[in-house]
Amino acid sequence: MAIELADIRFHYPSRAEHTVLNVPSWSLKTGTQAFVYGPSGGGKSTLLGLLSGLLSPNSGQVRVLGQCLDTLSNRQRDQFRAANIGYVFQQFNLMPYLNAIDNVLLATQFSQSNNRGGKENEVKVLFNALNIPENEWQIPCRDLSVGQQQRVAIARALINKPKLLIADEPTSSLDQANSDAFMKLLMPMAADNNMTLLFVSHDHSLSSYFTSVESLGDFNQVEGINNAS
Amino acid sequence: MLAKLALQSLLDRKGSAMLSLLAMTVSVFVLLAVEHIRHQTKDNFSNTVSGVDLIVGARTGNINLLLYSVFRIGSPTNNIRWQTYENITSNKLVKWAIPISLGDSHKGYRVLGTTQDYFEYFSYGKKNRLEFDQGHQFDQLFDVVLGAEVANKLGYSLGDKVALAHGIATTSFSMHDDRPFTVVGILAATGTPVDQTLHVSLKGIEAIHIDWQHGVKVANTELTQSDLEKVDLQPKSITAFMLGLSSKMATFQVQRSINEYASEPVVAILPGVALSELWRMIGVLENTLLLVSILVFIAACLGVSSMLLASIRERRHEIQLLRIIGSPPYFLFLLIELEALLITLLGCLLGATLLMACLASLQGYLVAEYGIYIASNILTKHSGYLLMSIIMASIVVAIIPSLSGYRKARES
Repeated sequence: MAIELADIRFHYPSRAEHTVLNVPSWSLKTGTQAFVYGPSGGGKSTLLGLLSGLLSPNSGQVRVLGQCLDTLSNRQRDQFRAANIGYVFQQFNLMPYLNAIDNVLLATQFSQSNNRGGKENEVKVLFNALNIPENEWQIPCRDLSVGQQQRVAIARALINKPKLLIADEPTSSLDQANSDAFMKLLMPMAADNNMTLLFVSHDHSLSSYFTSVESLGDFNQVEGINNAS
Repeated sequence: MLAKLALQSLLDRKGSAMLSLLAMTVSVFVLLAVEHIRHQTKDNFSNTVSGVDLIVGARTGNINLLLYSVFRIGSPTNNIRWQTYENITSNKLVKWAIPISLGDSHKGYRVLGTTQDYFEYFSYGKKNRLEFDQGHQFDQLFDVVLGAEVANKLGYSLGDKVALAHGIATTSFSMHDDRPFTVVGILAATGTPVDQTLHVSLKGIEAIHIDWQHGVKVANTELTQSDLEKVDLQPKSITAFMLGLSSKMATFQVQRSINEYASEPVVAILPGVALSELWRMIGVLENTLLLVSILVFIAACLGVSSMLLASIRERRHEIQLLRIIGSPPYFLFLLIELEALLITLLGCLLGATLLMACLASLQGYLVAEYGIYIASNILTKHSGYLLMSIIMASIVVAIIPSLSGYRKARES
């Protein structure tokens, strides 16, 4: 199993009475390309925060790639995340003042694997595979188009060869053409590298790319709790 | 990568980073300048006289005697009799003696009556003897040897005639213009009050006062040079004298015997002790200057920190991103510390370079106009310690924004 959640309850410290997540049980098989949709504010980002180890549940157990996150120290969790999980967000994926190559190399900084020289070649291979033209490699990322920035973000997410790739509304800031192009690059990349892909969006139209489609509301049972209190 | 990130992030906020850098540069400049000039003036100051074991004058305060005999500042309280000078210097522990007679001036510069021993024994700095830039020491009655600044400022050269004025005011109505002196020598610059002095023989001083009483010319007798030479020009009194002893060990013994000299109230001081007493008084001003420049530096440190603190808010997304790709919170702490350190290091470099350039270009002017010599090489042990403290202090102050970055990273 790539992801296993058991008896998860989560609320933010500032709003103790408002439970955001209540997941009795949810799991994702290794190698699945899963699409989870739900409305904005439905707890999607919170779920991803728990999976990345940046948030800890108030109760319950989070296992990612067989590793129980609650048993890790903060430092170990940071290392685990750097080495095993790739991320693509809707925006702010990149340091705006670094160029594309440095942005991707920055992600290798925190994973255990080193060897800079080799990494730089891997970055170039990835950029070529993602059709990022060479003349855009050395300019600050803020000067790239949004579509191009998202491609660099894919490269950034893939550089450490993570086993789990998490995409949080990565196409929301793209127009239809760019959005399609993005999906057509992402899906085979994930498949070729044998990654488990968890793609979260409120846009149901993207579900056609995926084999497994779920609604967050199906396994996040918060309705009853918040109404009762 | 951390260094690259810090540098790029600063370059990305060029405007505010440049202003902080400028403030840091100015503060480092001021701090280094004050500290450097402090040490230089202290060195110059204690270099004013060296190799003189005792200074003897009419009984007065130590500092007062030092001021008028060495620095030519203020007025002597009283003269001492020539007989006293001869009695004291007849002590066999006395190796040499330089009598000093003050009281006349030329266009604001003091005139010092002395003997040829002055050029032989007086030394300054690290036991440097006086050297002649041009000419030679006085040997005729109306010969004068000029200090470097006097010759330079008043434009005198060898052979020029100089009329002395009675008293020490810049403009004097009683001139000794009937008996002008001839410039026979010009001393090399020393950076001490010697540069601002005209040196004549004691007999010359006697000669111009021969028909004066109580500071006024009494008879307008026209004495010729040959007449004067016939007169006994042995001075009756002098202002003070400097002593060199045959053994340092004898200093206190000789000092005590002079202080107990019965027939006239005289006092002997150790120049080194009096110099440090005087320096302690001036030191208060110096410390105040240093304190002000330290405050300027702290203000610059706080400026850098507040710039970084303000940047943390606008870097919320960067911090989140760094956390997502696995950076531990302390990475943010280091990043912001490093940014502060970069600004400080660059500020130190610019400030020190600027100071060296300023000193190098002003050096000639300061020596020529004020007789102050300040070395342009500021790379001394003191400034090294100072730069190190500057860097340490900026690291400490940068803890404030760095902790804020660390906390932001933990929260995200």
